[in-house]
Amino acid sequence: MKKTLTLLLSAGLVATATQAFSSPKQDLEKFRTYFEQRFPGIELNEFGNGPYALDASKRLQWESMEEFPPYEEYVDKGREIWETPFKNGKSFASCFGKDPSKVRVKYPHWDSKTQQVVTLEGDINKCLKANGEKPFGWKKGKIAHLGAYLGYEARGQKTNVVIPNDPKALQAYEEGKHFFYAKRGQLNIACADCHVYYSGQRIRGNTLSAALGHTTHFPVFRAKWAKKGKGDGLGTLHRRYGGCNKQVRARPFKAQGKEYRNLEFFHTYMSNGLEINAPGYRE
Amino acid sequence: MKKLITAFGLILLISGCNATTPAKPTSMKAQYEAALADTQAAVKKAASVGGEWRDIRWKKSKKKYLPSAIKAAEAGDYAKALKLLDIAKFQAEAGYKQAMDQKNAGPRF
Amino acid sequence: MTKITQRLGGATTVLALCAGLVFSAQASADDLAAGKKIAFDRKKGNCLACHQIAGGKLAGTIAPPLISMKARFPDKAKLRAQIWDSTVANPNSIMPPMGRHKILTEKEIDLVTDFIYSL
Repeated sequence: MKKTLTLLLSAGLVATATQAFSSPKQDLEKFRTYFEQRFPGIELNEFGNGPYALDASKRLQWESMEEFPPYEEYVDKGREIWETPFKNGKSFASCFGKDPSKVRVKYPHWDSKTQQVVTLEGDINKCLKANGEKPFGWKKGKIAHLGAYLGYEARGQKTNVVIPNDPKALQAYEEGKHFFYAKRGQLNIACADCHVYYSGQRIRGNTLSAALGHTTHFPVFRAKWAKKGKGDGLGTLHRRYGGCNKQVRARPFKAQGKEYRNLEFFHTYMSNGLEINAPGYRE
Repeated sequence: MKKLITAFGLILLISGCNATTPAKPTSMKAQYEAALADTQAAVKKAASVGGEWRDIRWKKSKKKYLPSAIKAAEAGDYAKALKLLDIAKFQAEAGYKQAMDQKNAGPRF
Repeated sequence: MTKITQRLGGATTVLALCAGLVFSAQASADDLAAGKKIAFDRKKGNCLACHQIAGGKLAGTIAPPLISMKARFPDKAKLRAQIWDSTVANPNSIMPPMGRHKILTEKEIDLVTDFIYSL
C-alpha cells in the first residue's frame, strides 16, 4: 500500500514537473522581462554592476573605488601564473590555447563526453594535474588570481552559455534552476527570494543585487574577504555560493561539486548577452 | 506482623535502590546510543536530498550539534548529549521536509 | 491533506496555549526590553534586516515598517502566528519561520511578540 502511494505520489510530481517545463530560452526571456519591468530604464549591461546599478548613493563610492581598483595587483599575479611555465616546460596555454582573452567566454559549458558541466576553475586544476602540478585550492588564492586575469582579458565580450539539446544537459540546467528557486536552510530562503523578488531592496545596510548580471564579474574582490583570516579579498563564484548558503543557515555544498556547477550553468545562462566585467569590486 | 511488613518494605527499598542506582548510567548510555542512531539516520536522509542545515555537523559551523553531542557523551555528559541530539534530529527532519516541500520550486513569473 | 490539517491543528493548539499565556498578563517593561533585544539581535530575531523599527539602526526595506501594530493586528495571537510561521499565510514569504524552524524558542517568540505589539 505504502509503495503504491509513493509511486502514485512520485508520478504526480513528475507530471507537475513536466507541466511546468519550459525551455531555457523561454526561461531566459521571462527572466529578462521580469528585471526590465522591475527596474525600468536600467540598461541590460548595467546589471553586471550589481547593486551599484540599482543604488545611486552606493554607486558613487564604488566608482571612486574603481579609480584605483584593489584587484589590479591580483590581475597581475594572475598574468604571472598564466605565463610561468610548469616544471615540464609547458604552460596553461597548452591547455587553454595561446590567447588568454579567448578563455573565459567558453565557460561554463556542457561536456558531452563526461556528461557534466565544466567550469573554468575545473579546467584550471585539470590542466595542472595533467602536467604533474599540484592543483590550486578551489575558492581563493591562485585560482582566483588566474581567473581574475582571464576575466580581465575577456572584458567586453558577451556571456554566451550554450545549453545543448541533450537530455542530460537539460537535466543539469533544470537542477541548477531548481537549486536557485528552492528555499533552503533554517532561515527558509531561496537564492531567488533575495536576488529576484527583493532585488534592489536593502537587507540591513546592504542592497540586494539582481541575479541578472551576477556571474559577469567573478572572480570578485570583496572588501569583506580582504580581512584578516579571510584571504586577500579575491574569491570565486562557488566561494560566494557557499557564503550565501551559509547565511541562510544551509550547509554549503562543496565548491566545484555537481550542485554548484549546475547552478553556475543556469545562473550564467541567465546573463547571456551581458558583457564580462571581471574582476569586479564589491563591498 | 507489623515488623515483618516493615522489614519486607526495607528489603524492597534496599533492593530497589540497588537496582536503580547502578542501572541509571547504563540506561542513559543506551538512551543516548539509540538517539544517536536515530539522529544519524535523519541527518543522512536530509543530506540525501540536499536539505541539510548549517549547524548539524558542518565543520565550520560554530554549533555542530551532532559532533558536539558525541563529544559530550564521550565526556560522560549524556544529558547534554541528548539535548544536542534532539536539536540535530529536529533540524535534520525539518531540512528533509523543507526539501520535499520545495520539490517543485520554480520561478513565479 | 490530512497532514496539513494535522499540522494546522497542532499549530493552533500551540497558538491557543501561548495566546492564553500572552493574554494572561500585560508585558512588563523588563519583558519589553528583553523582546527588543531579541528582535534587534542579528543572531536571534534580526527583525531589522527587513523591517524598520523605532530605535533600530540600518534597517532593511524588504518588509513593511513595524508601526501601529495594534491597528494592524487587533488579534495579538495572529501577530504571534505570523512571527511563528509566516509561510502559513503566504507560502512564498521570505520571512524565516521563527517558531516552525526553531530559530527562536517559544519564550523568545512571546517576548518578541510583546515588543512588536507595543510598537
